[in-house]
Amino acid sequence: MITFELLKTWRSRRPHLAAGSIVFFLVLMLVGFYTYAQTETGGDAEFRYTFENQSYFNGLTFALYSFYFGFLLILPIFLIMECAAHIAGETASGTLFLLLTRPLSRAKLFAVKLGLTAMSAAGLAAGLLALSLLVGLVAVGWGALDLYPGVLQMTDRHQHLARDVALVRFALAVPFATVALMSVAGLGFLVSTWVRNPVSAAGTATALYLVMYVIAEIHFFKDLRPWLFTSYMPYWRSLFQETVDWPGLFRDASKLAGFSSLFLSLALFRLRGREER
Amino acid sequence: MTNSAIEPAIEVVGLDRHFGQRQALRGVDLRVSPGEIVGLVGPNGSGKTSLLKILGGFLRPHGGRVEVFGLEPFARPHHVMRRARFAFAPPALYDSLTPMEHLHHLSRIGGHRPSDQELTRALATVGLADRANDRVATLSFGMRQRLVVALALVPMPELLVLDEPTDGLDPVAVLELRDVLLRLRNEHGIAVLLSSHLLVEIEHLVDHMLVLNEGRTLFSGPPSEMIHTTLRLETSSHEAAKVALMNGGIEVRRSQPGQWLELDAGSMDLEQCRALLHAQGIELRSFHEHRPTLEEALLRRLRAEREVLH
Repeated sequence: MITFELLKTWRSRRPHLAAGSIVFFLVLMLVGFYTYAQTETGGDAEFRYTFENQSYFNGLTFALYSFYFGFLLILPIFLIMECAAHIAGETASGTLFLLLTRPLSRAKLFAVKLGLTAMSAAGLAAGLLALSLLVGLVAVGWGALDLYPGVLQMTDRHQHLARDVALVRFALAVPFATVALMSVAGLGFLVSTWVRNPVSAAGTATALYLVMYVIAEIHFFKDLRPWLFTSYMPYWRSLFQETVDWPGLFRDASKLAGFSSLFLSLALFRLRGREER
Repeated sequence: MTNSAIEPAIEVVGLDRHFGQRQALRGVDLRVSPGEIVGLVGPNGSGKTSLLKILGGFLRPHGGRVEVFGLEPFARPHHVMRRARFAFAPPALYDSLTPMEHLHHLSRIGGHRPSDQELTRALATVGLADRANDRVATLSFGMRQRLVVALALVPMPELLVLDEPTDGLDPVAVLELRDVLLRLRNEHGIAVLLSSHLLVEIEHLVDHMLVLNEGRTLFSGPPSEMIHTTLRLETSSHEAAKVALMNGGIEVRRSQPGQWLELDAGSMDLEQCRALLHAQGIELRSFHEHRPTLEEALLRRLRAEREVLH
């Protein structure tokens, strides 16, 4: 069953689309970083790391910011599309009948598709990060990772991580980011068990995600933040502090896992109980 | 006799189902025994697909009892699917996969490990062996339909439920499908329930047929019982002959003004008819038995039902 799902996913060309989009995104980010270095900093920060020019504005900074933006906007959209294809797509095309006319329980079908989505989430996170680091290394060069307080709230005070320490933190960011992405996948599955058209399902889930993300970011709604999973999603950023708050990190991971479990339980409940007309 | 031999494959008693205010099925009864081929017939919207989807556990019955191999389909659909195979219309397949990939992967769900020979044989059975490795997107509608039938045959089920399996098939493929189904019944004792609009096929293939109209059972029995042979006569004066026959105590079932009168078979013989009409000065021009096709018989029933209902 898993090999069948993998074959279908590969032939659907969704992985190719995701990979192409990530490459395009990184090219845009690279252009953005070069432009910023040339025009915005007035030549104070050179976007290049060499032995002679050990700039804080280097390939690791590029990788972190690329991963951060990609994680918040691109990966959720691809994951939502994946979930919509798995449930709403199979429903709309009628192939759900093809699967369910086999001795296969809906719970098992859901579990297989969820497992594949978890693999996709981890693969997307790892792929984006690896590619960001590679582009950062080849096009700019790696140095120490210095983060300063700014509009992106990556940190509230200057953080300095030596290159090797930063690379370990990058590696740790993948599983933590995957946990966060699974809550988006949970939302995607939930919507696609209700909305039977895959385009509508993906659109609805994306809209819900963006609305919750925006609400979580606006100070006016601060009382709502604890109830929105999007408030916790960028929690893995604390890995890039000099001293990691591990209890806080795991607490946020648990909350995200709780949101994922809630969404997925509701989705499974709906899928098991619904009629297929 | 084993348990499976005596246990009905399908047993439906007093099935009701509605969609909002619309009653899709009303008190439908159906029984399909092992080795039996049953045809499900009716106009569009008569409830055929709803019945098949209830049997497959995709829809919940709202009244009555539904069992497939003694199991409630909606409660235990995947247990039902261990012994039954359903193929719904239109054929839904993965365009980017090949027929062989469909067979290979789908037949493995549930633990079956088919050999390549078994898969090739299933494709050859439906005439798709030479397209085994082409993408489904390149297959015609009829070929997709045949692939769905091949998928239903691996592994061999005890019950085969086919929704409009002849849709999109050319006449040769229809005949081949008929042979396949008869062979499955005769060699493997498989029970088959198929819905179809091709009444010629139904007449030649099924042991029993269930005709639905607006969710009600219009007819249930062997096709031969639906077809009533009648007497048709042509006369020199249509209306006068009709009156003469009725005055003679003979009921005229139907008439086509200016062409023929139809009586129950055996209601009179040629000499009696000639004598009765001759006495009224009417010439009998033709007197013969008429056996309607299943299609004609069905249309007649449907018209009669419509007159009663409306």
